[in-house]
Amino acid sequence: MKSRHAEPAWMRVVVAVAVKDLRIEFRTRARSFTMAGFVVLVGVLFNYSIDQTLVRPQEIASGLTWITLILSGLIGVGRTFTIEARDGAFEGLLLTPAPRDAIYLGKVIANFLLVYAIVLLTVGVFGIFFHLDYGNHPLALLLCLAAGTLGFVALATLFGALTASTSLGESLLPILLFPLLVPMVVYGASASGRLLAGRPITEVMGQMRMLTAFAVLALGAGAALFGQIVED
Amino acid sequence: MLPAGRITTVLGPNGAGKSTLLRLLAGSLRPTAGSMSWEGKPLDTRSAQWRARLGVLSHQTHLYLPLTARENLAFHARMRGIETVDLNEALDKVGLSDRAHDRVEGFSRGMRQRLALARTLLHDPEVVLLDEPFTGLDARASRLLEGVLRGLRDGRRSVVLVTHALAEGLALADHLLILVRGRIALDTDAGALDPAGFAEEYHRVVDEAENPAESHR
Repeated sequence: MKSRHAEPAWMRVVVAVAVKDLRIEFRTRARSFTMAGFVVLVGVLFNYSIDQTLVRPQEIASGLTWITLILSGLIGVGRTFTIEARDGAFEGLLLTPAPRDAIYLGKVIANFLLVYAIVLLTVGVFGIFFHLDYGNHPLALLLCLAAGTLGFVALATLFGALTASTSLGESLLPILLFPLLVPMVVYGASASGRLLAGRPITEVMGQMRMLTAFAVLALGAGAALFGQIVED
Repeated sequence: MLPAGRITTVLGPNGAGKSTLLRLLAGSLRPTAGSMSWEGKPLDTRSAQWRARLGVLSHQTHLYLPLTARENLAFHARMRGIETVDLNEALDKVGLSDRAHDRVEGFSRGMRQRLALARTLLHDPEVVLLDEPFTGLDARASRLLEGVLRGLRDGRRSVVLVTHALAEGLALADHLLILVRGRIALDTDAGALDPAGFAEEYHRVVDEAENPAESHR
């Protein structure tokens, strides 16, 4: 028999899945428009709900940014597998011999780029509404948010796969996810708060390391467990 | 038994377990009892090796609707590690070469089904599982599918065809199974059956399997 039994190259699967997800998002804008709309709406609401004569936005911007990251991220990542479920596309993907951890990482990359773009929008929108000064270390702030976004996306993609097949679906995702995100929010909000306050980078190195460790652990756990979750 | 170069047609009423059988073979479901073997060895239907040998066309097309026909096939080829494949030829075989760059969401049900067939056969699988492949196909596309299935038989592929279409199922079959309530009610060579009286024979087998007490009166 001349059937082609090639093992798909791991990295090619990662790239192909990421490119496919981004291409679908670029064409449908199903998630990005909703997430971007949410961020702008949150910015407007915070702008009117916070009395800036009593509270300095610079002091609370960190917490607001992380809350917005998680909530807008949930809107986007939570729908990853809903889109995949149309016409059984994800089931078809699972019928191929493609390594499951490679599929997972491809989806994480696409989700990360999508959510991080929304994080950058959040930073811009909040900067405009609250006249924020991003201090002496804007790059460190963006790195801190990138590490947090990666950790969030790694877990949300894994749990998104878990909840997609349940009848509760997207409503179950935050219930499962929020408790696990607590360490990330604690370290992330603390680090970005200090950076926004103009404190030296050396003061946040510990939190940055913890954030990075959280992201790496979440990625590793996701890659290891994704196959089990989607097969069962 | 799924011998090479033979089409096994599986018939049966709704709920008989035809699609479940295909899902078990495809590894989408785990068996709660029993075992499967392939070429004399225990079969792990969830192994990458088995999936590489398998082509599945199910009720759902497994296509990404926002992608074009060509992009769907290219993505599927990458997921199967196929480096060199002529996508134009694959699309031409199912009569979609002129729609290669159109998004699938604009396709009719029949066109999606044809594209799904191209995707199923792209990696030249040894075992082909087809669940109601004639659904949504017009007469021309049905003839095309029949030709493809005969080509698979000639190419020594093992084909399992689940269908409600008695005449088409029998016409294509080398081997025929009738499932009723998850059990095999008839297991026979298709050549032993008379096409003219097959519909009557089918209903008799199903009725006997569904109402064994009445059939013995």
